[in-house]
Formats: sequence, structure tokens, C-alpha cells
Amino acid sequence: MEKIRKNTWLVKLIVKATLSTKNQLVKSLLYSEKKYLPKNKLEANAKNVLKCALCPNMCRFACPVLKAEKSEALSPSGKTRVAHLLEMDKLDYSRDAVNVFYDDVDCDACKQWCPFGFSVGELSVGVKRDIAKRGLAPKALLAVKEKILEYHTVYPERITSLDISQKKKKSDLLYFAGCTTLNKRKEIAAATTKILETAGVDFTVLPEEWCCGYPLHALGFQKEFQTFADHNLKSIKETECKTIVCSCPSCAYMLKKIYPPGKYEVKHAAQFFWELIKNNKLSLKEVDGEFVFHDPCALSRKLEVYEEPRQILRSIPKITIKEAYFNKKNTQCCGRGGGLGIANPALSLRLAKDRVSQLKEISTSVVTACPSCELALKEADETIEVLDLSEIILAALNNEGQKAR
Amino acid sequence: MPSEIDQSKGSKTESGKSKILQRLRSAIGSENVSIQEVDKVAYSRDYWPITFRWLLEGKIFTLPDFVCWPSSTKEVSDIVKIANEEKVPITPFGEGSGVLGGAIPIDGGIIVDLKRMNKISEINDQNLTVTAQAGINLTNLETELNRKEYTMGHFPQSFYCSSLGGNLSTRAAGEFSTKYGKIDDMVISLEAVLPQGEIIKSKNTPKSSTGPAVERLLLGGEGTLGIITEATLKIWPKPEKTVLKSYSFENMQDGLDVIRNILRKGVFPAVIRLYDALETERQFYQFSQAKNRCMLILLMQGSEELVELEQNVTENLCKEHANDCGEEPARHWLEIRFNVKEAADFAPKDVIFDTIEVSATWDKSMNLYNSMISAVKKINGVFYASAHASHFYPQGVCFYFTFAGVPVKTKPEDFYRKVWGVAMKATLDAGGSISHHHGIGIMRANWLSAELGESLEVLKKIKHALDPEDIMNPKKMGLQIGKN
Repeated sequence: MEKIRKNTWLVKLIVKATLSTKNQLVKSLLYSEKKYLPKNKLEANAKNVLKCALCPNMCRFACPVLKAEKSEALSPSGKTRVAHLLEMDKLDYSRDAVNVFYDDVDCDACKQWCPFGFSVGELSVGVKRDIAKRGLAPKALLAVKEKILEYHTVYPERITSLDISQKKKKSDLLYFAGCTTLNKRKEIAAATTKILETAGVDFTVLPEEWCCGYPLHALGFQKEFQTFADHNLKSIKETECKTIVCSCPSCAYMLKKIYPPGKYEVKHAAQFFWELIKNNKLSLKEVDGEFVFHDPCALSRKLEVYEEPRQILRSIPKITIKEAYFNKKNTQCCGRGGGLGIANPALSLRLAKDRVSQLKEISTSVVTACPSCELALKEADETIEVLDLSEIILAALNNEGQKAR
Repeated sequence: MPSEIDQSKGSKTESGKSKILQRLRSAIGSENVSIQEVDKVAYSRDYWPITFRWLLEGKIFTLPDFVCWPSSTKEVSDIVKIANEEKVPITPFGEGSGVLGGAIPIDGGIIVDLKRMNKISEINDQNLTVTAQAGINLTNLETELNRKEYTMGHFPQSFYCSSLGGNLSTRAAGEFSTKYGKIDDMVISLEAVLPQGEIIKSKNTPKSSTGPAVERLLLGGEGTLGIITEATLKIWPKPEKTVLKSYSFENMQDGLDVIRNILRKGVFPAVIRLYDALETERQFYQFSQAKNRCMLILLMQGSEELVELEQNVTENLCKEHANDCGEEPARHWLEIRFNVKEAADFAPKDVIFDTIEVSATWDKSMNLYNSMISAVKKINGVFYASAHASHFYPQGVCFYFTFAGVPVKTKPEDFYRKVWGVAMKATLDAGGSISHHHGIGIMRANWLSAELGESLEVLKKIKHALDPEDIMNPKKMGLQIGKN
């Protein structure tokens, strides 16, 4: 109804138009678009790619990749313009043309400003699938893909389970730590399990928790991603869980939005911790210190979770929490999104340094809620302190104040 | 191929190109010069609607030979000097949002993208000025000003996607221009690289009487007379108060008369926009008080006392002739003003959609409006022609026309040019100016002679004196010697 009201003016005009205009208009509306879209079926959403390509690049100011890079080819609409030309076979799939899609953090900063609600990162996933199908994915990434298939995680440590052998296999709550937590930020898993135990929450973990598949998905390795999703889905089903809690926002995003829906709810740890605190399941004591909260883009934009972490932090006595200027849905990516840390580590590091400089203006102690952000920020600047929300909560439970750090 | 594009001229032999590449690389660093095909393609166009056709059809009509990203004025100057010696054209590039083709490298050559020159060097509280490099994005500039409690008050629809240099080079106007002025009104001083590499920098003074202001030639020069590299601009303390109001009038004439009287009182609301009935129906269909009428949007901002006064004056003048529509329509406009969807929605359907902004003094304004609408409507295939008035002066007004149509028994590009042709003619016949704030580029070049008369010949002489090799953004604005 709203749509009809909105377009009344157009209908009236068309009625009033001359017969030849009417005929041409009908012909144009019915047949034109097909001429400008690829004939063969593609993974990419060619129609939306073209729409994005026809925009004057209204989100360019917010793109962290363009901020760190130079070429218009890496601007949001610049990428979709290249994508359209590639898909229409008007441009060669040269290495340089292909590479623009891997210089991407899938951070959805663009989506906040798009009247169509497009994310260039998400549009690029389809383009990268087509590139992979043509066998043209960058060689270095094919090697990484093989490693992921072998290790079941991107990390050579190959840790795929939390060592809690006494846990029973079934529970209402499944804690999905994520492979970054398991391999590189074990402190988060330790803090999280301690918090759950303190609150008296029964939970289980997967015996073989593979990578959620985010890097494979983001880099366009669709078939391989599916293998990982299938493995995890089967394993999740066996737990008969009603809720999955993830430490990593990207895992939560994958389980919630990319995996097929299951009979469970997916939550990021920040959401679940806030419920525990709200329901007086945790008694938080003082933590002394001043922190800035960094919103991970997968959490604040893809999952639209940005109030819960702040509510948690505000419920801790004595702590001072400050806001970055670019915060909540306006946050800036740490540089590790979209598999950029794998695809282009140098660019990823530049993005991280830029974000650190913004955070440091406010405080050199950073709290966030994503293991990948934490690694990225710390790698960009060793002098800053970077903590996970779970570690702050644990400190508040233990009343260890300064020991949070 | 569009008639304006003829690549036969600027072409160089491969060995010539390789020498130029070496020189550019040693001047600004290898990593800051690209000859990759994907980069060349990305700089083959701007946002001229003709280029939508190029994209749709996958045609690439012109490519630069080199893309350069200098980081300093000195580096820009070095590039320009090389270009002079090698006789290779330069196209300056900001963010490519221009709608007349001004940033298209017609003769190939060197793209000078100012993206890396995006630093703010000073925000001066006492003088109320900001000094920034020309490559900075407008939103990023305004954000930094807002963080320190200032505003520049410059919000064109390309606010998210255009550079300061591009705005200065086209004498752009923002939506809040009636209070804050156009970008050329905001300029305190400029630094620029002239076509032979000379660097000029004017003084920061509120006003001087020191002969003609040479640097002002660069404003609206569209890169034909040099490259603006830095500017010092006026800023304002962040407004204490903002008030939104909307009224609807029976017709455009009534609305224009009231606005004229508001300005005669010396009251300058930041935003004044008057939409004709068709555009009101398109943009404000949900507000019944404006049905079949012309919507007026007002936004007043500044210190509390001033805003209160402006509100009283505008209300007194409006209430006799208008329906009070409250705040909502103005709020709606604020929310949707950057939703640029038309090209994406219509271009793939071969529906041609574009806007044409022109200006006229008050005495000519209604005649201009009427003759333009009727001229455009007469073209077979046009099914939509409307306008809103968006920038106001005590002396006159800018009309922003929108048209949409389908090419009947003709090519889309020919249809598009036909509409522009009658629109430009109608404007000139009515005594208006052919562009208020988008500029000339390629598309309007043919009408600039009728607009400027002998002044265009003077401009050509200046161009030739400054740029004897004709390397600076050649074939734009009709400045090529011996051709209109």
C-alpha cells in the first residue's frame, strides 16, 4: 500500500504520457535490464553489483580500505564497477583486477550509508566465489585454504577443542569459543568458562570445534566453507543445545546469519553475559581503571550488538569507560575483517594502526569483545593494553582490580 | 563513441611512455604511480550520466596512461613540470563525483589523484578558519570540524563522495548555502600549482585591495588553469540551535515571493527549498497539507536569539500565503537528502534521469522556470520534468530541474543530449545562467560561448598564457584554442 502511495506520481505521469512514450517505457522497463546483466548464472548478485556500481560512491568516506589505500579501483563503487565489467566479460580477469576484491574487510561501514542497504563486502563474496570457480583465486590464498582444510582452523597450532573433558555432551547451552580464541586467546575461553561456572550455568562444548568457516566464506571458497558448516552443524545438533554462545562476533555472525537456521538461538558472549548480570547471576566488584571500548564491526554492525557491552561495563563499580569518537555502528575496523589479515597482512596492519591511533586519543587501555580485533590492535601497537570483555568481568568477579591487566 | 572523445591526439609511443613512467616514478616514488589496467579503468570516467551508459554497455572510451598519487604540493608541481616537458596531458582527480565529465581523461595522459593530500593543517579558533589539503573528503573534513565544535556549513548532495578540491574547482554549493554561502564564498586563501609547475599561495586575510585576486581564477577552473592543492576556508562555531519548518503554497510564484521578502528583511535561513507541485508529490506524498501544492522547507540555525528572530520573521511572512506543515516534512528531507538512488534504479532500465541546475535574477525567475519545463516536456519520450528552487539570494534564485524519459526511436545518449540542448537554450533565452553550481566539464562546453560571450575569448587567452602546451585538463570547458 505504502509503495503504491509512494509511486502514485509516477503512475499518473505514465497515464498522461504519449502513446509512443508509453510503448517505449513498457519496453524499457520489461527488457532493458537484461541487456546489462551477465547471461550466465553467477554466484555474484549481478543486479545489486550493477546498482552499487552506478552510485556516486556515497559511502566512500567511511571505507577504511580506501582511507588506507589510494586507487579508485579500491573504493566501494570502484570495486563493483570492476566486478560488473569482469562479469560482463568486458575486462580481463587479470591478477590486478582480481586482487581488488581481496583488499576488503567486510566491515559493513558502507552499508550504514547505502540507501539500498548493500554491503560491498557481502557483494564481493559472490564475486570472489565466481573468481574461485574460474580457478583464478590468488595462489597464496589457495595455499591458505589448503592449510585450513588440513588444520580445521587457520592457525598452525591446530587446536580444535576446549580441554574440558569432564563435560557431558548434551546441554541447553553450547559454548562455541571459536578457533581464534582456542588457538590465540585462550584467556578468553578460560575467563568465559569461569564466568559461566560462577553463574551456575550448565554448558557444553563441541568435542571437535572446527573453524566456523568465516575466512573460507569471506574469501569465496564456498564449497570448502560448506564442509566446515556441515561438520559444525552436525556436531551442534548432537548437543541438543537451545543457545549457542560465541566469544567471536564473526563466529556468531556465521552461525546466526550464514549457516542455515537451527533450533537454537545464537548469541555473542556480550549478550549472554549481560543477561547473567541483569538477572543477578554474577556479583561484580570494583575494577579500578580507565578504558576505551572498541566496537568490533561484526558485533556492532553485522549483529547490531553495541549496547550490551556498555551495559556490562557500566555495571562494574568504579571502572571508567570512555567512548571512541567512531563508535557503535560508526566504529572503524581493526583491519582483520573479511580475511584481510590473511589476504593482505600489510594493508591489514595499516588499518589496525589507524584504528589504534583513534583509540589511543582516548585511552591506552582498550576493552573489546572480539579475539581477532584484540590480536590486530595488539600487533599494531604493543604498548597498549587490550582486554576482552570476559577478562574484565572475570577481574570484577575476583575483585582483583588492577589484576585485570 | 561520444563526439568529444578523440584519443588520437595525446597518444605517445611505448618508448615515450616508458620514459615518462620512469620520470614520474623518480619524482613521487614507484608505489605512487600506477599503470595497472584496473587502475586506468577506474579513472576512465567520473559521474557524468553519459558514463552510466559506458558502464552499462561495458565500453571504455578513454584511459589514462598513468595514475599518480602525489603527497605534497611540491610533488604535484614536479608532475606538472614533467607533463610540460613531455607534452602529456594532466587530468586532476578529486573523488570523481562531477556530473559533467570534467574529470574524464579525454586525451589519456596523467591522472593526478589528490587523495593522499587529505590533511588538515590548522583549525584557527580566533580567526574562524580551517586550512586543509584539497584531496580531503568533505564529510571527513566536516567530521573533524564537528569534533572540535565547528562547522563549515557546506553540504552539497555529494557531501559523502566529493573532495574539497573538486568543490573549489567547480564553485560548488551546499544545501545550507543561503546562510553559509557557496564554497567560493568560504575561501580565504588558496594554494595551487599552475600549468607550468609554478606554486602560488595567497595570503590569509579577510579582504585585500591588492589588485585582481589571481588565485580566484582557479575557483571554477575545473583544473584547466592549474591544480588547487590547499585552501583556507571560513568556519563557524557549531550552531547552538536548529529549527525546522515547512509550509505549502498554492503555486511556485507565491512561494518565491514570500522567500524574496524573507531575504529582503535580511533574514537568511540556512536551508530554503521550494518544490514545485510535481516534485512535492514525488518527495512529500505522505503530507496531506501539501497535496497539489508547493512545499517549502526551511532550516534555521545559529545562535538561539538569531534563530528565534528568523523563525518569527519567516512565520509572519509565510502564514498569510501558506499552509503550516510543521517540522515533519523538513525532518523527512533531512533524512533522505543523501539517498541518491535514481541512477541505480533507472539507468539499467534505459530510463534517462538527470538534473540541471541553473540560476536567474528574480525578475526572470518564473519565466525561466516555465519555459524550461515546457521546453523539456515537448521532447518525445520525456514523461517527467519538475524543479525545486534550492539556493536563494536577495537578487535571485537557483532552480534545480529534474527530468526523466525514455529514448523514443533514438539512442539513449542522443535523447539525453537533446534534453540538455533544449534546457540550455531555454535558460539562455530566459536570461539565466547555464550553471549555478555543477560546472561545465564536457557536457556544457558547447553553451559556454553563449553564456560568457567575449569573456570566453579572454579566458582562452589566459589559458593559453598560463598553459601554452595545453596540458591542463584539455578539451574541457570549451577552452581549446580555435574551437568553441
